Amino acid sequence: MNSNRRVLFFVIGSVGLFIVFSWLSIYYKFKWSPFERVNLVSEVVKAPVKPKRYVYHPPVPKKDTVHIKSDSVFAPVYDFELYNTAKLITNFNADTNQPALKKFAEKLHDLKSGKKRKIRVAYFGDSMIEGDLISQTLRKELQDSFGGCGVGFVPINSPVAKYRISAYTDCSETWSEENFREGKSNRLFLSGHIFHTDDGWVQLRDQSFSNDSVLIEKSLLCGATNNPVTISANNKPFTVKGEQLFNRIVLGNDKGRSVKLAVNNDKLPLYGVSFESDSGVFVDNFPFRGVSGIELGKLDSSFLRSVAANNDYDLIVVQYGVNLLFRPNDTAFGWYGEIMRPVLRKIQHCFPNSELLVISTADRAFRYNGEYKTAIGIDSLIRTQAQVAYETGSEFYNQYASMGGANTIVEWGQLKPPMANKDFIHPNFRGAQILGQYLFEAMMRDYEKYVHSLKQPN
Amino acid sequence: MPSFDLQAFLRQFLYDKDNPLLFNNGFFVLFFAVFITVYFAFRKKMAIRRYIFCLFSLYFFYKASGSFVVLVILSAIVDFVLSNAIFRQKKQGMKNFLLVLSIFFNLGMLFYFKYTNFFISLSNEFLHTGFNPLNILLPVGISFYTFENLSYTIDVYRGHFEPARKFSDYLLFLSFFPKLVMGPIVRAHDFVPQINKPYVITETDFAKGFYLIISGLFKKLIISDYITLNFVNYIFDDPGRYTGLENLFAIYGFAVVIYCDFSGYSDIAIGIGRWLGFTIPPNFLSPYQSRNITEFWRRWHISLSSWLRDYLYIPLGGNRTDTFGTWFFPMIFFIAITLATMNMFNLIWWQSLSITGGIILLFVLPAAISRDKKGISTSMNILTTMLLGGFWHGANWTYIIWGALHGVGLGIHKVWMLITGRSLARTKRTWVYKIIMTLVTFHFVCFTWIFFKAADFNTAMIMIYQIAHDFSFSFWVPFFKNYQTVLYIMALAYLLHLIPDKFPDYIINRFQRVPMIAYLVIFFAFLLLYGYFKAAEPVMPIYLQF
Repeated sequence: MNSNRRVLFFVIGSVGLFIVFSWLSIYYKFKWSPFERVNLVSEVVKAPVKPKRYVYHPPVPKKDTVHIKSDSVFAPVYDFELYNTAKLITNFNADTNQPALKKFAEKLHDLKSGKKRKIRVAYFGDSMIEGDLISQTLRKELQDSFGGCGVGFVPINSPVAKYRISAYTDCSETWSEENFREGKSNRLFLSGHIFHTDDGWVQLRDQSFSNDSVLIEKSLLCGATNNPVTISANNKPFTVKGEQLFNRIVLGNDKGRSVKLAVNNDKLPLYGVSFESDSGVFVDNFPFRGVSGIELGKLDSSFLRSVAANNDYDLIVVQYGVNLLFRPNDTAFGWYGEIMRPVLRKIQHCFPNSELLVISTADRAFRYNGEYKTAIGIDSLIRTQAQVAYETGSEFYNQYASMGGANTIVEWGQLKPPMANKDFIHPNFRGAQILGQYLFEAMMRDYEKYVHSLKQPN
Repeated sequence: MPSFDLQAFLRQFLYDKDNPLLFNNGFFVLFFAVFITVYFAFRKKMAIRRYIFCLFSLYFFYKASGSFVVLVILSAIVDFVLSNAIFRQKKQGMKNFLLVLSIFFNLGMLFYFKYTNFFISLSNEFLHTGFNPLNILLPVGISFYTFENLSYTIDVYRGHFEPARKFSDYLLFLSFFPKLVMGPIVRAHDFVPQINKPYVITETDFAKGFYLIISGLFKKLIISDYITLNFVNYIFDDPGRYTGLENLFAIYGFAVVIYCDFSGYSDIAIGIGRWLGFTIPPNFLSPYQSRNITEFWRRWHISLSSWLRDYLYIPLGGNRTDTFGTWFFPMIFFIAITLATMNMFNLIWWQSLSITGGIILLFVLPAAISRDKKGISTSMNILTTMLLGGFWHGANWTYIIWGALHGVGLGIHKVWMLITGRSLARTKRTWVYKIIMTLVTFHFVCFTWIFFKAADFNTAMIMIYQIAHDFSFSFWVPFFKNYQTVLYIMALAYLLHLIPDKFPDYIINRFQRVPMIAYLVIFFAFLLLYGYFKAAEPVMPIYLQF
């Protein structure tokens, strides 16, 4: 018997029923997600009433009176909504012709005018800046424009140490480590890590620049020791006196850009090595995967003040947020603002010479109805982040708007070659380079405003 | 009353580059229903039936890849004309010329669309030419229909086959919509005679077709898509972020994905073909059940491996003789290996040369053991076939490396057979040996998948490094907790893979005629399962190390 009729009946029958079910489910507004996803006619047949889209509008925050900066005779007018502007570093001053990072711009101008000085930038972030992503572009651009050689801080070890391009790391497996996740130490460095070993070695090399004739100062960054500890640095004995809570001890100042340490005393709390030339701009990369920034609050204030005294920063950049968007449907982040505000205040308090730049989360997507789209809570999160910046008198840069706003990360992930990973969270090195470039350009526009203001007759 | 959006409805009929037609589109369901109705109505009018089939196939191709449909038509015309000319031509010289012309046209088209940018980047890197890459999109299915065209003209040239008389026969062979996008690669001498046969299928055909379509959809849309989106992509994109444990499982995951994806698509094509009265031979036979790499290639993408055997390996000389190609490609390969190992692993010249020497030795050994000089050229022919076969999969070094690894694997297997052929004969019959060899073969294949899937060589090396240096089972608990569903689906896929290939046929024969309602229930159950996985909340990556 010929079964070709059975094929026809089956196809007509199943497709017919499928259409009928699909139409009925729309007609009766029958919501059952497994069927909704496969509805055959949903693209051409629409239910009569359109569903309302949920939009979250948190209130406009109040400016914290303690932190209002009034260095002009005219009290500035503040415009909170400036946080939405792409590629702008803002201090919410409605007059956007004024520089936002004024002190930073002043210092850059010193370098540009030929003065010798160091400008240090601490770039905090989550997995987005792991492996020196974004910060390496910023460093390179700043050093190309204003001078300086050296990668800055390199930790003893990190989960991505092998893949960092700007620095080479190799170490023995004998280091024990405490960090934001594991251990109780409140003297973790800004990197969120502290290392000890009773018999270990580490080799670190700066690979961030190509000029071989520059003198590079290599400094050991370590915590307090009760007694001097002798270690081996580049195969020579070297005595470390950890007199302060935090110490920056020069190991050498020569053309070499490699440091090999051998340590056999676990009383020495080690963080890493810093590579800097005698003058210029230096960007320290401080990533910690999976965090939201509130972990910085765990650092001891007296310790932080010691860092400020011995290894001060001129600009502190904090770029977090993506890890708060870990569930697709979260839209309320007020709680985060409440926790993050005191953390930023603490940083401001401990680093009085630093300006503080809050960078918003970059775009991140979730799969909604089988399609990747920007997290629905992202506007609300960025508003919260801007609010914290506004209230603490920090500066703000909207990375999400700057990279292109909604669904940019999806586009980046689908480009060939891609600029983001298929998790639709992490820009890859190509994407990170663009983000670093955009940030640098925004800084330069800000700097130009400062330069321009110098030319104005006052 | 819900409103009907006429504009949206009409738009469905046009090519949408963000949403090309695949078997899982809602549009395909409707397309197929209309097609089968018309096809059935004209089933006895051969000419009309053929035109309808061509038309629907070309329309399918248009919905899948837009204007590239012109390429299929163009290549059908060229090859139809050339093959007929070759057939009629009495002079051998002219025959040769026409064949070369056809090969030149087909490979030229494939090269232009698929490999131009690869060679531009090669030239930029080594000759510092500074050419800009061209903005060339790869036409869907071109790798498949190019090979079908070639096999067709070569078969005609060899006198194996009388060319199709009617153009519509040839066009349908080439554009047959079930296999157009992703194979299997169909041979004209199998397929063309079936075009004008009466539309008769048995109850077994109906049942087996249904089974192939549903199981193919299940493999592709549920298993493969879920594991890819919720696990494999994360790890392969940025392996350095993840531990060795995650990297290893991502490779096991990808082994499932590539099999389910490829064989799922083939099964759907074969199943639809079966429903329409066309028999297409199986393309995958549970390849991970293989006990050695040679067997793997008899079970993996059979239509490709047999194509490569008939139209590449044998013309190269096969196991009988050698030709220019026998030595040319392996030479390039050996030079490239020496230079690459020197550059990438910072080896001194003699270290690199000894690696290369070791590989050459491997290919010479079988001949030495069996004292048959021809063995060397046979080995080289296999290596050439695998290198070019790898390159066929994509214009990237990683595919060539993948092919090379398989070539080396086949070489090792050959040596192993010659060494252990007699001494281990008894051991080889034990089940312990069989299980161990299946696992060894599976892991070798998995190792090669690293290069197949990784975006570039560096990414592949990072993965291997992470597995070798950063592996610890201490992360198992959080890893398992986070990826639970993914791991369960992977386990299910491997369990299904263990089922003997004859089992479905056995079941189908047992049940004989199953009532229609049962088919409908299974179909809708599948649909809801698909919907469920599409709606499932995505699994997000986690960090196990800080």
